[in-house]
Amino acid sequence: MEQQVTVVIIEDHPVVTEGVTSWIRSDPGQRVRLVHTARDLTGLRSARQPSADVVILDLELAGELVTAQIPELVAAGYRVVAFSGHSDPAIVIATLDNGAHAYVSKEEGSDHLVEAVLAAAADRPYVTRSQARAMLADQEPTRPVLSQQEQQALLLWFQGMSKASVGRRMSISENTVRQYISRARAKYAATGRTAASKDALLARAIEDGVLKPGEIVQYKSFASGATD
Amino acid sequence: MTAVQPTAMMSGRYQRAFTLAVIFLVVSWHLAGAGGQLLHNRSDYSSFAFQGAMWLVMAVAIAAGSVLALRGTPSWRSAWAVALVTLAASTAAAAASPASDMLAVNWAWGAAGWTGLLVLLRRRIGELAWFLAAEAAGILSVQMWDGLHRTDLAGFLAVLAWSTGAQVAVAAGVRALDVAADQAAAAARSEHAARERAATAEIIQAARHTRWLALQESAVPLVAELAAGTADPGDAQVRIRCAVQAARLRRLLAEGDEVPGPLVHELYASADVAERRGIAVEIETAGPLPQVPRPARRVITDAAIAILTDARTHARITLAAVAAGIAVSFVADTGAGVLLPAAGEGVTIQQQQDGGVFWAEARWNSR
Repeated sequence: MEQQVTVVIIEDHPVVTEGVTSWIRSDPGQRVRLVHTARDLTGLRSARQPSADVVILDLELAGELVTAQIPELVAAGYRVVAFSGHSDPAIVIATLDNGAHAYVSKEEGSDHLVEAVLAAAADRPYVTRSQARAMLADQEPTRPVLSQQEQQALLLWFQGMSKASVGRRMSISENTVRQYISRARAKYAATGRTAASKDALLARAIEDGVLKPGEIVQYKSFASGATD
Repeated sequence: MTAVQPTAMMSGRYQRAFTLAVIFLVVSWHLAGAGGQLLHNRSDYSSFAFQGAMWLVMAVAIAAGSVLALRGTPSWRSAWAVALVTLAASTAAAAASPASDMLAVNWAWGAAGWTGLLVLLRRRIGELAWFLAAEAAGILSVQMWDGLHRTDLAGFLAVLAWSTGAQVAVAAGVRALDVAADQAAAAARSEHAARERAATAEIIQAARHTRWLALQESAVPLVAELAAGTADPGDAQVRIRCAVQAARLRRLLAEGDEVPGPLVHELYASADVAERRGIAVEIETAGPLPQVPRPARRVITDAAIAILTDARTHARITLAAVAAGIAVSFVADTGAGVLLPAAGEGVTIQQQQDGGVFWAEARWNSR
């Protein structure tokens, strides 16, 4: 049995914290262990205290957007999974650019939050439908160039198909669908500001064969910013 | 589209009025001015029949020029065909006029200038300048051929200044009026657009308010029943009611302040109908969506209605901007395939059935 992934929940609504806790508890494999909950970020600003792998972060705490605080959390060594009611594509893209691993909307929580936490702890891409939506809607001039296949896989996934159905539609295997979506996500890690989490995600993507090192040279050298 | 039409028409109406004024001016000049001069001096010409023929040629050119001008800006080919005919007629009439008294009996100079003005009015101003210069050069060469006197030259310059000055003034005036009409049309256009935006915002606001009122009747009692314990969350029926109300709440919250366009509104309306049957419908959009023309929208909403009618508990509708168009997709637990209405109007429909889940995508291309 692999070691449990430790997680912190930062959420200002106790009822949501309660819900997230119940999803973590009801995971059949008990793969995630909750170590701490907090209603704001004050305790986490310094060096990785409490010690945990992943932070589940509500993007709005006490009425304020905290996307700008994500780089601090990442620098402290946490992997960040944003869990938010804000589905505005611009906010989602900013969240990813600031180094969050994944974005999970509040509606997607029960199906995706635990899986997203596990993926983040392993530095693997995890793309929810709402995140696919933001990537499709992205109008930033700095957005990565996605291949037609990546674009199509993202679109069908956003539309609500299962990955198996996407595969049937595109006449490819379900595994290849995952590859395309992961590759699109990894390309995002190669753009914008540098963050340890993005470098780690890219390194892992290369290791897993999702992306070839040559495929990201066109965006930016990730190795130069690697700190861990 | 609908926003541009009235203003384009308005600017067009003004321009047409200016064109009609110029036509009136040219025709009056040809009948009263040139025609009068021609009749008054009829005994002075060596051949009155030839002068009359030239006058008729010019009249035909004016008629052709009027038709061209009323149809919009004439092409350079047709404009210059008319201009060259008048130029030739004017020069020929001048050449056949008695040399001694040419400027007094030459009826054709002014008439040709006005006719040229009529067809070249809305073309580049340089073309009119070339035409007027060519005409003056034609008259001057006829005079020089006849042996130019100092008094003739003075007369020539006087007529040149008078007629060309008047023609250039009219051309400049019409241009200024065209610009003013365009500006007025542009102002009306932006006002029209602002009014349309305000009206749409009002409709959205009203629709939102209606939905909010509907929530008061559906979601609030459900929450009350759950709180009071009279509704059991373990009951499948209650869970379906919760799912429907949750979907409805999410739609209400997801609605931004941006103007989503009529297609989204129509799909929301279809979703509202399905909800009354207990189907939870989510609608999501990605990217700035293009405006879809009404016939294409009808094909898409017909497909939506067919799918929502067959959905059992849940449906997801997405609208995504794709290259040169929009992809509207539906995923629903219909259990079996859905008989979709015919595609067309630039909309193509694809579908796929996986187990009990039905997927369809209606794609509209602006090209």
